[in-house]
Amino acid sequence: MRRASIAVLGAILIVLLCADWIAPFPYERQFRADVAVPPCRPYRLGTDALGRDRLSRLIYGGRVSMVLAPLAALLAVALALLAGLTAGCLGGWWERVVTTATDLCLSLPWLFLLLAARAMLPLNAGPATSIVITFGLLGLLGWAGPSRILLAAVKRHQRSDFVLLARSEGCPPWRIALVQILPNLRPVAAAQFWVTAPAFLLSEANLGLLGLGVAEPAPSWGNLLREMENLSAVARNPWIAAPLVALVMVVSCFQVAISTGDFEA
Amino acid sequence: MSSGGQSSAERGRAAVSRGGEALLSVHLSVDYRNKPEVLREVAFDILPGEAFGLVGASGSGKSTIALAILRLLDMRGGAARGSICFEGRELLNCGEKEMRRVRGRQIALVPQSPASALNPALRLETHFREAWQAHSTRPWKEARTSVRDLLVRLELPAGEAFFRRYPHQISVGQAQRVLIAMAVLHRPALLIADEPTSALDTAAQREILGLLRGLSREFAMATLYISHDLASVAALCQRVGVLRGGRLAECGAVETVMGADARVGLVASGIDGFIHAVNAS
Repeated sequence: MRRASIAVLGAILIVLLCADWIAPFPYERQFRADVAVPPCRPYRLGTDALGRDRLSRLIYGGRVSMVLAPLAALLAVALALLAGLTAGCLGGWWERVVTTATDLCLSLPWLFLLLAARAMLPLNAGPATSIVITFGLLGLLGWAGPSRILLAAVKRHQRSDFVLLARSEGCPPWRIALVQILPNLRPVAAAQFWVTAPAFLLSEANLGLLGLGVAEPAPSWGNLLREMENLSAVARNPWIAAPLVALVMVVSCFQVAISTGDFEA
Repeated sequence: MSSGGQSSAERGRAAVSRGGEALLSVHLSVDYRNKPEVLREVAFDILPGEAFGLVGASGSGKSTIALAILRLLDMRGGAARGSICFEGRELLNCGEKEMRRVRGRQIALVPQSPASALNPALRLETHFREAWQAHSTRPWKEARTSVRDLLVRLELPAGEAFFRRYPHQISVGQAQRVLIAMAVLHRPALLIADEPTSALDTAAQREILGLLRGLSREFAMATLYISHDLASVAALCQRVGVLRGGRLAECGAVETVMGADARVGLVASGIDGFIHAVNAS
């Protein structure tokens, strides 16, 4: 099951990365004579209210979401590694600062914080800027959860026999942190990445649904969901729900991929 | 034996003082956060090149002494009081930076469990490189040759393939030899071997003891040999201290403390029988 999920994710990623060759049309191209048409040839998923091919936008939107959500997750886990490793190894006041900041970040309503932070930034930002802002914010605000787990792992390793041996050899603390402890954090960090990436996909979708995510005309699975605001339209034209189906499928594949417990520290 | 005007530990120290200047002179009490006075006024000396055995039942504080000498008790939440004098220097007054220069280069440790002491995420070469670079500015590429010679001396494979292995890819006996090789890399004056044979079978135990004896002679290295295996202590050490209830119940020459027939009788009676005999005498 896990292999199948990873295979599906890989296949989707390949399709999305080859969007320029696979998508029938550029995502922003308008067919003014074919506005809001149902699925037909050459529009396999029909066109939207502006006459843009839905399938092309789904493929290009998927590329934005599927590439940038993992990148944002990488940023969050990298920040968490930095915070957890330095706090665990330096201890003292720095550990208290990191722990307090983590507690604070975890106590705040995450979605509200994201909305507030996004709302403070310019709403008329261009598509590229909005993409960087959306995923940059996710990466910057998502470090707290992974950081707490990584800090606990660092503390556990600090009491380990191999760190005792390294200290008994006279190794300095920074080498113990980088050479002895950091490689042992890899499984925990990988697990955190696999948990965070689908969470960021969903967060981007939430922001996109509220109009605070990636700006038009650039597509993302988040802003494509806005078409579903009118539920009666979805009931009449179920193909509008294609981005939702894609999103649920990808997030489910992520969940199955991480649910087998292969990430023991 | 421990009763009377002068304690056995004091007699042991006095005996050493007569023999020459001690390399290590310990007078130590240790408290843990939730367990005060785990060690009380434990005192012994070790001469340069001498093998000193420390025996005691599990939980008697043997490993605590090893950690206290290296000033690593903070890793287990302990604190030491008293005096640890090494080559005329009071280690308890040394800062962490100064202690890092002592650890590995002047006092080295062979830990108890080879399986957990080697970092599972690192290749053997990285283990050796880290131990080397802790005290030497000589490039690792140049040092590799001398490390290979040491591996041959310890009857380990010295080929490239061995360096590239991870700890789980070698046997426990090989792992113990790797730990010994890492410990003697900088020719320390004192080697603390904390139950180095406890995870090994009888044949491997004999080989490790032979290696320790040979290396100690070759490098003129003193050894603090911690064990509950009385036969190995009797085979390796010149003097022995017996820990019980956090105190040094007995300290002196192996023949005096264990009796003339130490090598035969103690193997049969085991550590508990021996300590019972020490208390009764």
